Amino acid sequence: MNSKMVKAKHKKTKVKKRKRVSLARPRRKTKRPTRRVTKPAKHASGVGAPRYVLNRDFQFIQELRDLILKSSPAEKSEIAERLQRIGRVKLAVISGIFLNKENPETLATDLFIVADYIDRRKFQVFIKYLEAETGGEVRFVIMEKEEFQYRLSMFDRFVRVLLEGPHEKLINRLGV
Amino acid sequence: MVLETLFGSRARLRLLKFLFRNYPNGYTVSEITKHLQEDRNIVKKEIENFIQIGLLVRGSKAGKKIIEQ
Repeated sequence: MNSKMVKAKHKKTKVKKRKRVSLARPRRKTKRPTRRVTKPAKHASGVGAPRYVLNRDFQFIQELRDLILKSSPAEKSEIAERLQRIGRVKLAVISGIFLNKENPETLATDLFIVADYIDRRKFQVFIKYLEAETGGEVRFVIMEKEEFQYRLSMFDRFVRVLLEGPHEKLINRLGV
Repeated sequence: MVLETLFGSRARLRLLKFLFRNYPNGYTVSEITKHLQEDRNIVKKEIENFIQIGLLVRGSKAGKKIIEQ
């Protein structure tokens, strides 16, 4: 027992020598948490951030406006291609903002999809892409095949207005 | 594709589309970046370019009406 103590003491001095630190007071293992001052991030919520608007006195503002607004807001072939990837789409109809009409607001929907299955995550990415491309909100409706065929057979107003009004079918595997 | 080539970049065209479609409203860089799905720095640069040529102006309030049509 005695020898053990000596050994322990010996060990301690050895460590002390090697480490060159006092072992009398053990170091605090964890740092005391310093109070962090959270700086308000510059324009974090966009409250004080400057806002930008088109200058109505710009010399070509009207010409530019016509050019931008009269062109198709998104490439149809690209929309169709992306639609193929989000699920088993049976029918895809574009209307409203995609057709450069004078008053797209009068049309109830911009994008109408009939599908068996849609990957929700991929669809969200797709909608984000559409909104980025069009520069506005995209109103869309998704329906199952059964519901669509039922609505079609009973002359449902929504479906009828869409298919009788100005529209374009990007994907059509239902033969409507 | 036509306009994209004409204007030189996707971000630039998207910015123009966004601004014209949401016409009388003013937006911050953050809002625009979020909507456009483009890099913040690119958006910032395009905005600065547009300000320089006088196409864009700084508005102070949200949704401030610039055009009285």
